[in-house]
Amino acid sequence: MFQVYLPIAEISVNLVLMLGLGAAVGFLSGMFGVGGGFLLTPFLMFSGIPPSIAVATGANQIVATSVSGALAQWRRNNIDFHMGALLIVGGVAGALIGVILLKMLREAGQAGLIISLTYVVLLGTVGLLMLVESIGAMRRTRAGRPASGRKPGQHNWIHRLPLKLRFPRSRLYISAIPPLVIGWVVGLLTAFLGVGGGFIMVPAMIYLLRMPTNIVIGTSIFQIIFVTAVVSVLHATFNQTLDVVLALILAAGGVMGGQFGVKAGQKLRGEHLRALLAVMVLAVAIRLLFDLVLKPAELYSISPLLAGV
Amino acid sequence: MMRRALLLATLLGFMPLVAAAAQAASPTPPKEELQAELSTREISIQSNFTGIEILVYGSIDFSQTKAPDPGNYDVIAIIRAPSQPLVARRKERVAGIWVNSRGEVYPAVPGFYAALSTRPFRAITSDETLKTLGVGIVNLDFGRPATEDLREAQYRSAVIRLKQKQQLFQEDDDGVSFVGRSLFRATVALPVNVPTGRYTADVYLFRDGELISKNLSTLEVNKAGFERTIYLLAFNQPFAYGLLAVLVAVLTGLAGWFAFRRE
Repeated sequence: MFQVYLPIAEISVNLVLMLGLGAAVGFLSGMFGVGGGFLLTPFLMFSGIPPSIAVATGANQIVATSVSGALAQWRRNNIDFHMGALLIVGGVAGALIGVILLKMLREAGQAGLIISLTYVVLLGTVGLLMLVESIGAMRRTRAGRPASGRKPGQHNWIHRLPLKLRFPRSRLYISAIPPLVIGWVVGLLTAFLGVGGGFIMVPAMIYLLRMPTNIVIGTSIFQIIFVTAVVSVLHATFNQTLDVVLALILAAGGVMGGQFGVKAGQKLRGEHLRALLAVMVLAVAIRLLFDLVLKPAELYSISPLLAGV
Repeated sequence: MMRRALLLATLLGFMPLVAAAAQAASPTPPKEELQAELSTREISIQSNFTGIEILVYGSIDFSQTKAPDPGNYDVIAIIRAPSQPLVARRKERVAGIWVNSRGEVYPAVPGFYAALSTRPFRAITSDETLKTLGVGIVNLDFGRPATEDLREAQYRSAVIRLKQKQQLFQEDDDGVSFVGRSLFRATVALPVNVPTGRYTADVYLFRDGELISKNLSTLEVNKAGFERTIYLLAFNQPFAYGLLAVLVAVLTGLAGWFAFRRE
C-alpha cells in the first residue's frame, strides 16, 4: 500500500512512512530550532536507504526546509549578509573536498563506515556537551539564578587575526579567516554527512565570533541554503546519489511537520528542550555505534563495482 | 476384367507412396519441437512498481507422450538479466569495529538469474550439459574461473547467498509443470529491485537426458515514464539534474512558507 519506487535508490519505500519521517524530523527541528539533518540522515540509513544516497538526499531536503526558515529570518532582518557570504565561500570550498572524499570512500567501499563513525563522534560529543550544559542550566534555575550562564563577549585571540573586515549588521570588526574556516568545516560536514551544520555553526558564531545571538540563527540558515544547494548539485554530478523523489517526499513532510514543531517548542523551556534534544542526539549516536561494534549477522556485502578497487 | 486390372495397376503404382506414408506415421515420427512464450515481453518500472510475476509457457509440438501423467520430457527455463561487475566484501573486526575488507571483484554477475525445471537439474541431464548451458547457480562462473581456494569459495557462496536473499538469484527444480501432454508453464517472480536491461529467456527441452529442442527469447525491463526521465537525466545530465533538484527543493520551501505564513 502506497509504495513508491525511488528511481535513483532503486528501491521501493512506503510513502506514508517517508512522509512521516520527514514530518517527524521537521517537527523536531521546528521544536528545537535546529536543521534536523543530523537526525534525518541517520534515520534514512536506519530505514534501509544506502548511506551515500541518504547523505545527498538529506542535503537536498535541507534546502527546502531552510528556504522557509530563511524567509522568516530575512523578514525580521536577522541575516548578516556580509558574514553569510564569507561563510558560503568557505562552505563551498569545504563541500568540494567533502564530495570528492565521499566519492573516493564509496569506491573503496568504506563510505558507510566513515559516515557512521563521523556521526558517532560528532553526535556523541555535541550530545554530551549539550546534556551537561542543559543540566547545569536546570540546576541554576532551580537554585534561583538566571538560566543563562554566558557573560558578555570579551576579545579573544580570534580578534587578533589579520585581514580584518567590517560586519555592520553584527557590529563586528574581525578577521575574515575565522568565518572562512567555520564555513569550510560546515561545508565539509554538509557534503559528508548530509547535515546543515547549524549545530556547529551557531555555537561557533556565538562563542568564537561573538556575533549577536539574534543574528546568528538567520545568518546560519542563510549559509545553509547555499551550501546545501551546492552540495546537492555536486553530489548529483559526481556521485549520482541524489534521489529527487525521496527528497521531495521528505521535504513535503518536513515543511508540514516544522509548523507544528514550532508551536510545541514554544510550550517548553529552553534548557528542557536542549536536554531533550541532547538525549535524542545521544540515542542516535549510540544506535550507530552499536551497528558498528556488534558483530553483524551477515559479514559479507555486495555492491556494484564503481571503479578499480 | 479391364477395370480390375486397372485398379490393381493403380494400387501397385501407389504402393511405394502408401508404404512411405505408413512408415512416417509409426517408426520415425517428426522430431519434437519446443514452442515457448512469455506472458510479457516488456516490463515498465514506474512509481507503483513493487515487483512483477511473469509466466513462461509453451508446448511441445509432436509430443509423443501417450498418457498425460508420467511424461518423458523435461523442461528447463532460464531467465537472466545482463551481467554486471560486482564487488564482494567481508567485514573484519578492526579496533573493535566492523570494517569492510578490500574485497573480491567478480567481473560478470547476472543482475538477475532464475532457473526453473520440471525435476532436479542433475536428474535431467549430465553436469557437462548443465555447465555449458549455464543451468543452476553453481554453474555460473561470474566472469572468473572458480578455484579450489577456500577464501574464494567463501566469497563466491556469499555472493550467491546475498543475491538469493534479495531474490535476484532463484532456483526452483519444481518450477515448471506440465499441463496435459504437451503444455507446460512456469512462473518467475521479479522482485522490486530487479535491474533494468534486456533479459534473456532460454527454454530447453530434454528427453532422456538429451537436449532436443530450445527456444530463446528476450524480455525488456525498463524504467518508464517519469521514473525513466528522472533516471536518464540523473545519469546523462547530472549537473542539470542537480540544479533541478535544488529548484524543486526551493519551490517546496517557498510553498511551505506561503502555506504556513503567520502574519
